[in-house]
Amino acid sequence: MLRRILAGLCLGIVACAAAGAADTLTIPPIAFKQRTLANGLQVIAIEDHTSPTVAVQVWYHVGSKDDPAGRSGFAHLFEHLMFKATKHLKAEQFDRLTEDVGGHNNASTNDDFTNYYEAVPSNHLQRLLWAEAERMAYLTVDAASFKSERAVVEEELRQRVLASPYGRLFNAVPKDSYQVHPYKRPGIGSIEELEAASLDDVIAFHKTYYRPDYATLIVAGDFDPAELDKWVDAYFAPLQKPASAIPRVTAVEPKWSEDRRYSEHGPNVPLPAVVLAWLGPPARSADDAALSIASALLSNGDSSRLHQALVYRQQIAQRVNFDASAQADNGLITAFAILASGHQPAEAEQAILAEVRKLATEPIAPAELEKVKTKLLTQALSQLQTAEGKAFAVGEAVLLKGDASAANSDLEALQAVSAEDVQRVVKQYVIDAHRVTIDYTQQAGKPAAPPKAAKGAAK
Amino acid sequence: MIRHPNRFTMVALSALLAAANSAHAADAASGTDALPAPGPARKVSIPVAQDKLLPNGLRVVVARRTATPLVSVALYVRSGAEIDPPSLAGLTDLTAGLLDQGTTTRSAPQIAEAADALGGSLGTGAGFDASQVSISVTTPKLAAAIDLLADVTRNPAFAPEEIERERKQMLDDLRVALSQPGSIARFVAARAVYGDGAYGHPAGGTPASLPRIQRDDIVKLHDTFYRPDNATLVFAGDIDLERAVQLAERSFGDWKAPATALPSPPVGQGVRALPPTIAIDLPGTGQAAVTAVHAGIARSSAEFYPGIVADAVLGGSYSARLSEEIRIKRGLSYGARSALDTRRQAGSFGGSAQTKNSSAVEVAGLLLGEFERLSSAPPDADELAARKATLSGNFGFSLETTRGLLGQVANLAVYGLPLDELAHYLDKVQAVTADQVRTFALAHLGHDGMSVIVAGDAQQFGDALGKAYPKSERFTIAALDLDSPTLKPAAK
Repeated sequence: MLRRILAGLCLGIVACAAAGAADTLTIPPIAFKQRTLANGLQVIAIEDHTSPTVAVQVWYHVGSKDDPAGRSGFAHLFEHLMFKATKHLKAEQFDRLTEDVGGHNNASTNDDFTNYYEAVPSNHLQRLLWAEAERMAYLTVDAASFKSERAVVEEELRQRVLASPYGRLFNAVPKDSYQVHPYKRPGIGSIEELEAASLDDVIAFHKTYYRPDYATLIVAGDFDPAELDKWVDAYFAPLQKPASAIPRVTAVEPKWSEDRRYSEHGPNVPLPAVVLAWLGPPARSADDAALSIASALLSNGDSSRLHQALVYRQQIAQRVNFDASAQADNGLITAFAILASGHQPAEAEQAILAEVRKLATEPIAPAELEKVKTKLLTQALSQLQTAEGKAFAVGEAVLLKGDASAANSDLEALQAVSAEDVQRVVKQYVIDAHRVTIDYTQQAGKPAAPPKAAKGAAK
Repeated sequence: MIRHPNRFTMVALSALLAAANSAHAADAASGTDALPAPGPARKVSIPVAQDKLLPNGLRVVVARRTATPLVSVALYVRSGAEIDPPSLAGLTDLTAGLLDQGTTTRSAPQIAEAADALGGSLGTGAGFDASQVSISVTTPKLAAAIDLLADVTRNPAFAPEEIERERKQMLDDLRVALSQPGSIARFVAARAVYGDGAYGHPAGGTPASLPRIQRDDIVKLHDTFYRPDNATLVFAGDIDLERAVQLAERSFGDWKAPATALPSPPVGQGVRALPPTIAIDLPGTGQAAVTAVHAGIARSSAEFYPGIVADAVLGGSYSARLSEEIRIKRGLSYGARSALDTRRQAGSFGGSAQTKNSSAVEVAGLLLGEFERLSSAPPDADELAARKATLSGNFGFSLETTRGLLGQVANLAVYGLPLDELAHYLDKVQAVTADQVRTFALAHLGHDGMSVIVAGDAQQFGDALGKAYPKSERFTIAALDLDSPTLKPAAK
């Protein structure tokens, strides 16, 4: 029973009731309006009065790939500093404007972008718009704030990479995989390069990259459109667009010409792991949807192929994942497995490759394809419950695909993927391509703490 | 990389909260150099939760939210890891984990296939006080999802090969947990607070206990505790009570409670047997996890609202005191938080942070210093208003998703609290006074009975810790026996 319903921009989930009758459900598209100010700022508004709250997000078109030479981790360190003082705001005053009135804020640094996001009771919208414009234009970090926040970022690095059993592996994947593209540098940086950063670097980075013509403002939730326009015009329109051109990453990762293999180690590796990586297309590629469906067939849910093969039937893995990462430039397609105790990386590597080959060459049942489409749409519906969730979907579409409407059309594209599409992209990007294989094991000479299971089990 | 780790699931609301900001609004004059003042607050609407008891004793609870055609639903058995027999830590969680690994009519892969085809995933597991099976689906799939939920709850096969598979996975999960300073410190903190009580062991079992579990233990636990009069079915989303009861009747109506009485739960709070300061050595790890913890309150305590406000002031958010002192002022951690854990019979209160190994002793001192400060003077009015606003805002945001709403309502249902508590939450938070916060801290963060736990590379902090806290003891991770209230194997 396979049906696809696309009513206008509405997406259909085909639901088969027990009796066999089909119910359909539509996901309404995200209704957004966009305009561009004279200074180049892109403004996207998503009106939604479900709750008396509003999400405000500013997405800057600068990310870890833009880290200055010898300063890996800088874009992320800079993100932290955007919460320090500005001309008219004290350090941490963003928290006063959000947390102290029942809202929240956070920010994240991706390879391709840096986003700052808040959600607040909707009567605080005007204040947030004022404050976002303020820090876009007038950041004034002092030496003391810089030093203490850099120490925080170093603790973040320790927590994510050095005190987490698989942190070193995740950090190594881009480093070992990319040959040319700056995606190869770790976004979290290194203690040495963070220590080398100076307050002058901060000022220069803000001047170079934080500008209205390379930023997207997204407001979603409970607002009056006329008021929003008025406030945006009042606070953002006066900001100057710099005359200088913004430096852009132009490096293109070449197709890999051979298979490569690396071994990584850590001091506390409870179970070995393995990562296989292939070079994927940029997120805006028409193949993105087929790769998403392929990834879901392989690892979304307990009934997915890799989970069933490696975790359930063969019991060689504790967990397994397959993902085609969406990035503005060529992203990585990765398969990752943590081994079950007593098993070695090579076993998982072979089992993963066998499943991927099978996906590329043997027929895919229509019901299986329908299953993952239902699952992906249900997950999307869940994300789109909140105004903030809608804003994130639109923001990613703009930053990774260059088009806000991709947030809606991507869901349609998923529905349109055929079994042939899946097999074609798996052949092209995985089977017929070269790969990087990374084994991750315990450092020699320092055995991981043995669990006492062995003794207890003897009983 | 994000600015700070999120403690709460999600987003905001308003009402009641505008007052907190007036101090800053005063900075504002006019023109674009000045921060504008907030507008009038809009009222938050709180979903109403309703319930009905089926003739077999199963309680059906519904919290309606119609904005999206989604429903999150969970079946809770009101018994959790506290019912694990003393030598069989992990039995309740293993039992719950096996529910979807085969029933009398469906294999584990068939169940996984069915759940994924409905667009959801079955979540199974047991913490303390409850075991659960949950799923989120679109409304057209709900009836089939309830059928599946009922099948796995009522008819699990507990096939020997599935038991072995699940046991191995839990042992591997445990290996991973025991290689991370944060989870090690949490395991030890439970022993420090609850001693030999039923809340003291890891819910997921221990490396020694899991291999001891037999199929008979699992079957017996299921027969004894999985019964309609010990269960609650909670719906949150686009569904009303009438339809929910109809679905529950259809799939659970002929589920019969055994004639035997439900055993009363063992005592959660036991006798403590640990020194006040404990170091756990995990050589080579890049940070130390520092936790300071004290006995707290039960969920039903009259002090619940002062407790959550005290928690909010101490370390419930980025702007709260622990983060301010440890992260913002000193750069010692990526995140420092407090935690108020309220269970059916008892609870705990404390704070924690991960820091470079060499700063562990300094961070322990800062945690204790903040406990002392909160115990000795009430927070001032602005601070109290701001932290109440954060707490209320997080509550409002949690109601914006079906899963968040389910979590709020299920907590009331599992602990037998009135469902209209949802409607009174904001008022009750606002009613807490500064002095109640101080009194709560004095009672539940005092020096007597405080435990400090540091898990990390002890070579880098062990000596300093011993000097600062003479009554301390050091364990190696390999010799840590979480089955024992002393963390040491019982003498043979």
